[in-house]
Amino acid sequence: MIKTLRMTRLTSKLLVGATSLALLAACGDKTETKTEDMSDKGPAFASTYSPQPSETTLITNARIIDGTGQEIAEGSVLITDGKITAIGADISGDAALTIDAGGKYVTPGIIDIHSHLGNYPTPSVSAHGDGNEVTSPVTSEVYAEHGVWPQDPGFDEALQGGVTTLHILPGSANLFGGRGVTLRNISARTVQEMKFPDAPYTLKMACGENPKRVYGNKGGPGSRMGNVAGYRKNWIKAQDYKKKRDKGGDGFKRDLQLETLADVLDGKILIQMHCYRADEMVQILDIAKEFDYKVTTFHHAVESYKIADILKENDTCSAMWADWYGFKMESYDGILENVPFVHAAGACAMIHSDDEKGIQRLNQEVAKTWAHGNRAGLNISKAEAWKWLSTNPAKALGILDETGTLEVGKRADVVMWSADPFTTYARPEKVFLDGALLFDTESGLKPKSDFRLGYGE
Amino acid sequence: MTLIKSFTAALLLSTITSTAIAQDYFISDAKLVTNTSQGTVEKADVIIRNGQIAQIGTDLVAPANAEMIKADGRWVTPGLIAPYSRLGLMDIGGEDVTNDTSSGDSKTSVSELASDSYNPKSVFIANTRRLGVTHAVISPSAAGDSIFGGTGAVVNLTGEYDSVEKSASFVFVQLGEGGTRRAGGSRAAALQQLRAALDDAGAYPSRFKGPEDGDALSRQDASALFKAARGQMPLMIAANRGIDMLNIIKLKKDYSSLDIIILGAAEGWKVADELAAANIKVMVDPHDNLPSSFDSVEARLDNVVLLDKAGVDYVITNASALGIQRPATLAQHAGNAVGNGLEWDKAFAAITLTPAKWFGLKGGSIAKGSAATLVVWDGDPLDVTSAPTDMLIDGERQSLKSRQTALRDRYNPTTDDTRPHKYR
Repeated sequence: MIKTLRMTRLTSKLLVGATSLALLAACGDKTETKTEDMSDKGPAFASTYSPQPSETTLITNARIIDGTGQEIAEGSVLITDGKITAIGADISGDAALTIDAGGKYVTPGIIDIHSHLGNYPTPSVSAHGDGNEVTSPVTSEVYAEHGVWPQDPGFDEALQGGVTTLHILPGSANLFGGRGVTLRNISARTVQEMKFPDAPYTLKMACGENPKRVYGNKGGPGSRMGNVAGYRKNWIKAQDYKKKRDKGGDGFKRDLQLETLADVLDGKILIQMHCYRADEMVQILDIAKEFDYKVTTFHHAVESYKIADILKENDTCSAMWADWYGFKMESYDGILENVPFVHAAGACAMIHSDDEKGIQRLNQEVAKTWAHGNRAGLNISKAEAWKWLSTNPAKALGILDETGTLEVGKRADVVMWSADPFTTYARPEKVFLDGALLFDTESGLKPKSDFRLGYGE
Repeated sequence: MTLIKSFTAALLLSTITSTAIAQDYFISDAKLVTNTSQGTVEKADVIIRNGQIAQIGTDLVAPANAEMIKADGRWVTPGLIAPYSRLGLMDIGGEDVTNDTSSGDSKTSVSELASDSYNPKSVFIANTRRLGVTHAVISPSAAGDSIFGGTGAVVNLTGEYDSVEKSASFVFVQLGEGGTRRAGGSRAAALQQLRAALDDAGAYPSRFKGPEDGDALSRQDASALFKAARGQMPLMIAANRGIDMLNIIKLKKDYSSLDIIILGAAEGWKVADELAAANIKVMVDPHDNLPSSFDSVEARLDNVVLLDKAGVDYVITNASALGIQRPATLAQHAGNAVGNGLEWDKAFAAITLTPAKWFGLKGGSIAKGSAATLVVWDGDPLDVTSAPTDMLIDGERQSLKSRQTALRDRYNPTTDDTRPHKYR
């Protein structure tokens, strides 16, 4: 909820900015507008996303899981101008296109909060390794989007797995890895065309083994102690920078690295932190208290089940796998019930892929962990478990008021499935993004990356 | 004296173990997947005596001494066999000292036995067993400047010290981009290393006056390749590109007795007819649909379906990504082959019966006289929401508990246990 509030606050802040600018312009106060030149130009690398054209579409006779925890046994969804305009059991209305779902499942589009599509694209040749700026443990000045190749064939396959929005992060080599970016999964020539309009930036940070392994022989950190010292030193710098920035004036010099950190302290950038071990996550939460920022999500979070109560208290989400574990020491204690256990404790839980193949079947990953959870004595419904696929990732990315659930007013990011998505055998049959049909098994409509041209023909 | 004593005690102990009467079992009302011409039998009862399937039928009478397993209409199947894994060869993949999958600095290659590195007490064994896998093919990886990884084994997942079923089961060879790198930088070099090695093994022992007399292999490695070079055990070759597979087919024309299994075969669908005609087997991962490298630019989701149509002999693996550490997702991979158009029976055979045949295992089907290696499931075994409820390997009941279930139970949010975690 706090993330939603933050988003609202951010939106209103932007609105206030725009209003005051307009007022200033009306007053013709040139000296004031001069300092706002940057804002006049708009943010750097602004989103140029625009939805594909869509028709007014009515999906009828559908078994709807809406992402709020509700399941409608037989209902309809009305899509107008790319938005959901009605949903429920008794919806009627004129639509240019009516789709009889024939009792099939209809769900929100899936959101993957942890993907490296585009910055570790296939084919995975060395020239494509743009996800980790492995030159210093602190690289909060880099932006994942500058390493995203929109022709990664993985985007197309992810769409066919029902993924409509995805969050691309820098890798986990560095303490402060850089800014993450939230993308719409749409055919695009540039990453700007994919950027989710007004989605907040994120900051990728990393705990544990990776930074100390990568920098142990390159000046440190070489231990978990060094990791923590590294975070704290840089937050101190960021506090100082923020003070100077707040004060403004000629003496203030912009610093890209500290700008990102100061934006975190201002609540504009959401922390997405790679962390496996329970004890380490709690230390990170203490650092967040020390410097008055919030950890929005722990990623991988293989041991979140051990501290689910503490995560709940801190309103910090966990983005987890269903069954990855054991490939490194800090992942040794992975269990198959991590996601449902965290959820059952009342903390925010979600699935994530971190993998170009896993992203194609996140519904199966949720089905798997959901079933293990219920087998261990929980009683979680499918409609509730669906939150791990779209609702909670949307919340953790600050875009829940735009997508993540099928509710009136939201973007029509919708998937129609061939069968119950909580089985191995289900496949997305139709995928809508902002109401536009982008994947359709019936007509054979699907995207194809430039890379794949000339092959397989 | 002490030595003799303990020796006697050990003898006594082993006598007791081997003469212990195996528990008999009666499984009632099963949806029984036999993997035989009988297909799937509903309402089947199964009598297990002395570790073997004694009788299959309906409305059978339970033997008096038999332990009952009530399937209540649930699925009972042969145990899953992971056709390619590194189970028991490592504890933590990322920690070199615990990882025995390859040996870049050793002087040997083909002659290295994966079974010598196998640790049946690795927690991954029980973690994998409880998800329905009863046997695994374990393979070493190529390293250093050799395209040979060593000799792989077949193990059961009882987790007992004597769980290696077949020590020397196949020889592993890396071609494609990986093998190219090892051989010095080109496909030509990799293939030539393979041919030279086969010639060394073919001419073993006559060619070897001294230990280093081979063109590509030392005496001990040529000796280890002897059987595979004569088709007495499979040669498992990792390759994904269409043309690489055609070159392997050519190789088989020159070395006609080879029993070749291609691991990967991402572009197998392009050369499916040729593979079938050459009687070459393939191990495919049905999740492999991206151009992960320039070896597999034409990978596609229905590869296995097309291979099946062409009549290629195949098994299903979950070799990609972390799958090698997680054979537990084997059933999910087979399930996805079904989701993409393969018949259920064929997909299931590809993770049970077919690998059993290839590697000479006695499991893989449920018929009178066969080993009682089976799994009772709480749902369709290829569905991700299903899990085993009971398991027998060679007629012995297996624990479905593991380190993961212990962690699960300690931290289960439904527990009433209020003691500190370390005391639970």
